[in-house]
Amino acid sequence: MVTRDQGRLLQIGPTDNTSDQRTPRQRLRLIPEAARASFVPYAPARAMIRPNETDMTRIAPNRPRAQGQPIEVSGTLRSETGRPVAGALLEVWSANSFGRYTHSEDGSGLQLDPNFLGLGRIITDEAGRYAFWTISPGAYLARPDIGRWRPKHIHISVTGGSSRLITQMYFPREENNASDPMAILMGDGFVRNVGQEYATPDRDVDQGYRFDIVVGGRNATFFE
Amino acid sequence: MDADVTLNILPATNEDTVGPYFPIYFEDPELMDISRLHHGLVVGPEGTPMILRARVLDRHKDLANGVLLEFWQANAKGVYDTPDNAGHPDLDPWFHGYGRIRTASGAFEFKSIKPGAALGRAPCMTLTIFSDGISRIVTQLFFDDEPANAADPLLASLPPEDQGKLIARHDGRTRDGYEVYAIDIVMAGEGETPFFDDLAS
Repeated sequence: MVTRDQGRLLQIGPTDNTSDQRTPRQRLRLIPEAARASFVPYAPARAMIRPNETDMTRIAPNRPRAQGQPIEVSGTLRSETGRPVAGALLEVWSANSFGRYTHSEDGSGLQLDPNFLGLGRIITDEAGRYAFWTISPGAYLARPDIGRWRPKHIHISVTGGSSRLITQMYFPREENNASDPMAILMGDGFVRNVGQEYATPDRDVDQGYRFDIVVGGRNATFFE
Repeated sequence: MDADVTLNILPATNEDTVGPYFPIYFEDPELMDISRLHHGLVVGPEGTPMILRARVLDRHKDLANGVLLEFWQANAKGVYDTPDNAGHPDLDPWFHGYGRIRTASGAFEFKSIKPGAALGRAPCMTLTIFSDGISRIVTQLFFDDEPANAADPLLASLPPEDQGKLIARHDGRTRDGYEVYAIDIVMAGEGETPFFDDLAS
């Protein structure tokens, strides 16, 4: 919700200790117009992408599939005004089907899958479209002390021109969606962060999820 | 925003936390030190090399681990490398002004060129912070040896007691030709750094 008379007061995610430790308590300040343009980073185009990074279901083309359900995620990237964002870099990461990240700081002890890295990069095409294959990630117990799980989710970071967004795609009908602190903060808008299922009869995956991404705010349109 | 415009605005995807596991794999050395073009070349951007030495602290004043930081700044002549400035005679071919680092501990050093003053502004760097527990927060950092701070419109928009929280202090050292500036960024609570709203502004 855009208001112009005052900045947002950020909310603390329920049952999220880190959110409590790190969420600014002061209302965000409005930026004076004379400084507004300087707040809009313009990222240089980057294409540090290795072949086959759009297929995260295996670690290399000649390697076996990772365990779990292979899925496709696709959609378009647009600004709030509907302009496709072409040539944007999507950085994608997720846990494996057991809920374990390959990140060196994931100390959960959950099972690793030697055929799954959980890392991919994609550049949007001229119409702002993207698509990648991955394995449907597992949920994992984020707060063992209170039994709260993180629902299945895929992290997506978007950098393109003056657009910048880090978000997560969630999955429909997951029982843990309702108790997720970030999902709770999104309220009714949570549905926009849930991938919409589609059939993939002609492709070597079990299920498709459509996830259209809209980068909000003026930054994304500053240099249109 | 007037109603006619609002009708055609698409609802934005919610920003979400980067979480604790932003892939170290995605680190890009070319964005982690933008003070030079490449360690194997003697050509590079113009200007004064600087190190921003900083700590990101939570509300208990503990280091905030696993933070992703992005920087955006003008070149030494105060020109931002944006599409609006394409062809500007003072663009620096070796400097795009966009940096990114991930710090495991919450402390970091970022190497860059000290920005020049853009029109009507004091020299500054835009800082975007992503971490577990929050989505995206942004602010700008200034330098304590710049007289132009006194007239900067962003600093002037803050109460006097908050202005100093955005000003990095020269720590008296020059290391390997780099001027060292230090600052603490306090994400929450007592001494909280002022953050700005680039969605509502």
